[in-house]
Amino acid sequence: MPLPRLGTRPVRLRSAGVLLFVLALATGATLLAFSLGGGHRTRAAGPVTVEVSLSHCGRGWTRPTPGVQTFDLHNASAGAAEVYLEDPGSQAVYGEVEGIGPGTTRQLTVRLGEGTYAFKCVPDDADAVTGPSVRVTSGRRGPGAAPVTEHDLIPSALAYQKWVGGGLDEVVRLTAKLRRAVDRGDLAGARAAWLPAHLEYERLGAAYDAFGDADGQVNGTDAGLPGGVGDQGFAGFHRIEYGLWHGQSADRLHAPAAALVKAVTALRDSWSQTRMDPAQLGLRAHEILENTVQFELTGRTGYGSGSNLATARANLDGTREVLSLLRPVLTTRYADLPGLDQDLDSAQHTLDGLRHGDRWTALPALTRAQREHVDSVFGDLVERLASVATLCDPRRTA
Amino acid sequence: MSGENRPGTVGRRRFLHGAALAGAGLATGAAAPTAAVAPAAAVAPFHGPHQASVLAPPRRTSVFVSLDVTAEHRADLADLLRTLTDRARFLTSGGTPSPVGITGPPADSGILGDRLPSGELAVTVGVGASLFDDRFGLAARAPRRLTAMPAFPDDDLRADWCHGDLSLQLHADDPDTTLHALRDIARHTRGGLQVRWRLDGFTSPPRPSGTPRNLLGFKDGTANPDAAGAREMNRLVWVGRGMGEPDWAVGGSYQVVRLIRMLVEFWDRVSLSEQERMFGRARSSGAPLDGDHEHDTPKYADDPKGDVIPLDAHIRLANPRAAATADQRILRRAYNYDRGMDANGNLDMGLLFCCYQQDLARQFETVQRRLAGEPLTDYITPFGGGYFFALPGVRDATDWYGRALLG
Repeated sequence: MPLPRLGTRPVRLRSAGVLLFVLALATGATLLAFSLGGGHRTRAAGPVTVEVSLSHCGRGWTRPTPGVQTFDLHNASAGAAEVYLEDPGSQAVYGEVEGIGPGTTRQLTVRLGEGTYAFKCVPDDADAVTGPSVRVTSGRRGPGAAPVTEHDLIPSALAYQKWVGGGLDEVVRLTAKLRRAVDRGDLAGARAAWLPAHLEYERLGAAYDAFGDADGQVNGTDAGLPGGVGDQGFAGFHRIEYGLWHGQSADRLHAPAAALVKAVTALRDSWSQTRMDPAQLGLRAHEILENTVQFELTGRTGYGSGSNLATARANLDGTREVLSLLRPVLTTRYADLPGLDQDLDSAQHTLDGLRHGDRWTALPALTRAQREHVDSVFGDLVERLASVATLCDPRRTA
Repeated sequence: MSGENRPGTVGRRRFLHGAALAGAGLATGAAAPTAAVAPAAAVAPFHGPHQASVLAPPRRTSVFVSLDVTAEHRADLADLLRTLTDRARFLTSGGTPSPVGITGPPADSGILGDRLPSGELAVTVGVGASLFDDRFGLAARAPRRLTAMPAFPDDDLRADWCHGDLSLQLHADDPDTTLHALRDIARHTRGGLQVRWRLDGFTSPPRPSGTPRNLLGFKDGTANPDAAGAREMNRLVWVGRGMGEPDWAVGGSYQVVRLIRMLVEFWDRVSLSEQERMFGRARSSGAPLDGDHEHDTPKYADDPKGDVIPLDAHIRLANPRAAATADQRILRRAYNYDRGMDANGNLDMGLLFCCYQQDLARQFETVQRRLAGEPLTDYITPFGGGYFFALPGVRDATDWYGRALLG
């Protein structure tokens, strides 16, 4: 997880005040899992202009027709607003547009089918307003889901934070062991100690974003460093990996090992002061493995230890942890959770088949069929996990 | 597959990501503009007894991918082919991708805008010999003449560029159309298919007229059989009944793909007359060396010693124009390719050769054997490709690629 890029995906802005009061949704009833929208039988109707405002939210939509429908959402109010098209009974959301600027018009396309709809206008600085209900009498509507609020995610975020904290304790312990081996000149011991320490860190997965710049010191690569692997700024696990597997002496690794211990210790100590944004949870569930696909399965982060698949396995553990915390939220919203579980098992099984005791098959040693299977199962996973991120993006409902 | 999008259904894996997670419900038939109202100008109608894309003239651009199936069970393979059919039907017919609201990222990449055009894309799907190994229990159903492509004497094959469980070719006049389709299909089949190799091709416009030129500067494909002639196609291209092929294969065609690098720098250092004698045609007009116009028929009987058109000229070996060799003709559907430079600074370009026939041994392999050692081989290097069997057509809105094979 060397490059903290993915985690910088912007999380929607919201005013904190309105979060205090959150409608507890009867989630069991609100599930409108991925109802199978028909297809393209109906030609897309022309756009319908709909007003976005506190006084006339949803005005303009009077003649609903089933099929793919585009709305021109015109924000007639003085401030920015978000708009949801929801079922006012279940409050499942079928479409949304974020941050429509005052005076501007944005498009929303949804598949309309049998059911009741209403636009909900959520101004940045006022309570939400729900417009008139509109009934569509035929057709199968596109998929919808009850929105997840920040409130829904707080318990999971707290639990995740605690879990990461415990993991960091372990990282500190294991890196200290690595450092001791380096300090006593035991390079074989250092190589043996490197992997458990690194994997423990990787297991914490996309925590990189909350770790901020610290991740560069702990787990950075030589990307962007003018001097490449010889650059003074190259630090952390991969710097030490490079040395341990490229014949560098213990003397040369002394300083990097000390710096690593210092960095993870500082990270651990600061972690308890950090408050993780609950909005990050869904993103992590998705992006830990995006990073795996981008950096581990390609070998970009391999500096000699041949442990990219072990890292992928650790990332998978980290993903499972996030998902287990999100599970209460997902059960009623994510249509094919069993399929996702099956895929996670399959990925784990595939990787475990490439492990031989403490040794993992290095990427170049994979047969074509093995590599295709690894890439395939991870490709499948990130497709599925992308929906976890969109579903768990917290939304204001009131 | 649509029914499996509901929570709680475990079991078969699904290969419907993105739009399909939304349950595009395509397989229900209620989907796509079932009428398949492709405009008259469609590149190739999607539904029919044959894949019409096989016969359609090459478009300006093409993506050819060889795919390996990573799904493990026969039912998964069937699901994959259904998904592939649904996507191909939708992508060729056009329409607005079904939005998924907050339940996922956008259903479509958006590179063609909100609404996909109709009739601008053609899709060709084939199966390779490896699909009939022991994984899916299909060994007994293999097309009789389908093998892995052998190495011919003038080949220099690279393993990474050969064979594959499936072939997928996308044809359109604009690269954004083919790339959009490739992304869509790859996304929807993620977890079940992995691209093994890919080569993109293009067709040049007529320069100045007639058959498009290859990258050696010669018109290529002049002597093709008439794809509009049903009898000719039934004789040369389509597998029919009574040929000893399995029933499911009737309506399909053997597809040969050969990735042939052209050593264009070397070629450009060869005199024009030598170039023309290698091909047997005039570079400028495309006429056979014993004729005046591109479509003049060479009269080999009048030139038994090869004084005008050498005996080892490419066109003479490839198609001797004799009654005995008439049934050896193939339908060429080649594209040019360009993929940058090699490590030595030479241009890496050539021919994405593709041809169709009803019998590999009688047609392509016979011709290939005759061409062995032709002078042209010094200027080309076949480095990859494969043998595939282009599946019979998708007959209607309920049919799918390979239904007769797997159903």
